[in-house]
Amino acid sequence: MKSFMIIGQFVPGTSSLHKLDPRTKMVTIFSFVIIVFFANNVLSYGWLALFSLALILLSKIRIPYILKGITPVWFLIIFTFILHLFITREGPVLLEISTFKIYEGGVIRGLTISLRFLLLVLVTSLLTLTTSPMEITDAIEELFAPLKKIKVPVHELALMMSISLRFIPTLLEETEKISKAQASRGVDFRTGTLKDRMYAIVPLLVPLFISAFKRAEELAMAMEARGYNGSEGRTKLRELKLTNIDYIAILLYVIINIIFFTLRQ
Amino acid sequence: MDIQFKQVSYTYQPHTPFAYQAIRNINLSISSGEYIAIVGHTGSGKSTLLQHINGLLLPTDGEVQIGEYILSSNNKRQDLRKLREKVGIVFQYPEHQLFEETVEKDISFGPHNFGIPKDEISKRVLSSIEKVELQTNFLEKSPFELSGGQMRRVAIAGVLAMEPEVLILDEPTAGLDPKGQIDIMKMFYQLHQSKQMTTILVTHQMDHALKYADRIIVLANGEVYMEGNPEEIFSKTNQLQEVNLDVPEILTLIQDFNQRFNGTIRYQRQSIAELAKEIVEHFRENKRL
Repeated sequence: MKSFMIIGQFVPGTSSLHKLDPRTKMVTIFSFVIIVFFANNVLSYGWLALFSLALILLSKIRIPYILKGITPVWFLIIFTFILHLFITREGPVLLEISTFKIYEGGVIRGLTISLRFLLLVLVTSLLTLTTSPMEITDAIEELFAPLKKIKVPVHELALMMSISLRFIPTLLEETEKISKAQASRGVDFRTGTLKDRMYAIVPLLVPLFISAFKRAEELAMAMEARGYNGSEGRTKLRELKLTNIDYIAILLYVIINIIFFTLRQ
Repeated sequence: MDIQFKQVSYTYQPHTPFAYQAIRNINLSISSGEYIAIVGHTGSGKSTLLQHINGLLLPTDGEVQIGEYILSSNNKRQDLRKLREKVGIVFQYPEHQLFEETVEKDISFGPHNFGIPKDEISKRVLSSIEKVELQTNFLEKSPFELSGGQMRRVAIAGVLAMEPEVLILDEPTAGLDPKGQIDIMKMFYQLHQSKQMTTILVTHQMDHALKYADRIIVLANGEVYMEGNPEEIFSKTNQLQEVNLDVPEILTLIQDFNQRFNGTIRYQRQSIAELAKEIVEHFRENKRL
């Protein structure tokens, strides 16, 4: 499973996308998510697709890896396409198979919705592919800093987020280790009836929970031992700073959007 | 059961930027009843290698033969349960796999999965808790109220209760106190001798490899670096240092002693006390001369 799911995975690199400030990436990508919904003709969709392709090329991550990595999403995209194909009844009939009629409007609707979907998934997975989880949490902490004024515990939330992100691989590793140990003792996670398989999970979950609780306790102790007491007076090791590359990126992004809004009808 | 590796390679997460070849082109044969030690630096591929022996990993290239089972990359998902019953693995920190309410239930978990009849299971539970030197009143306790060392023994008993023909030990002494280490290693050695169990020990402790193994396999960077009996392996000091492995202290001591005092002491798996006697003997004889 680990081998084909790339959503949320980080691929270290030195491309210009990797070098961008995470705040720049987050703001542009989230605004892109909204902007995708404004596309309404071939030209504007084409322009956004071109932009996404350029981003992928800039990231220097191999395209087959990305396309294969979003396998689960492909099913969803194809499913939406087929659904729209059969349900929408607009425009002239293109094809008639016994009782099923396929309309032109259905094809167009299906294509646009799936393209929209694909662009969203591609661009947002580029964010996590080129930004380490630590950078993402740092950026979130910075971006939400104004909320501190209304007593939202931004620092604590960001810390919780970074700790949970930090422990995902650890827990996965632990899961794999324990499932291997239990498989060696004859547990079969893959075959058998649904009931059998549900029972097979118990020997996996119990040790996993125990070690997670132990780990949490140890982590809390280690943090206290090193004098952690919340955000008060805390400075940062890596400060986020906008550099020239960020200003260039933002400028380009604005220009791309201006062109986009002139292309759409 | 004889075990054979024929040009086995294994790659983690192939066809991704994270692809990592952990072992490459391994050729090995281990005969039934041997005590093998696999040593190597961290990341040399030891754990990957031993997970091939009960089919937890299937080779990306080449094939592994264990008794009548042949494992290779194009294997369809076959029923590996029979194989796993015969190959018991004691993983690193095996106490992390405990989950049942009582020690007894946890030990019988393995045999139960392999469909052993009930009365046979209770016999095995008793004999295996004896083998790991715990009292029978532990059977009713929860494994989580035991100390770390006791939990380790319970987990080992759980593997022994499967009565495997091949026993794989992945650093079984890690994190134990010195006495616990000696006890556990002795216990495995006795089991090996009394049951003619094929034993494969993965270890960082060269003393253990020297003391118990018939043959040592040195892995480095995913390949077999050296192979031979302990005396042979540990005489190649320079080659060992190249892959960051040490020669056991007792051997360096004997070597230095022989050089300095013209001694003729040979290492024959003697303990420290026995060695001391030999040294005394040596000085007595030399005085008489």
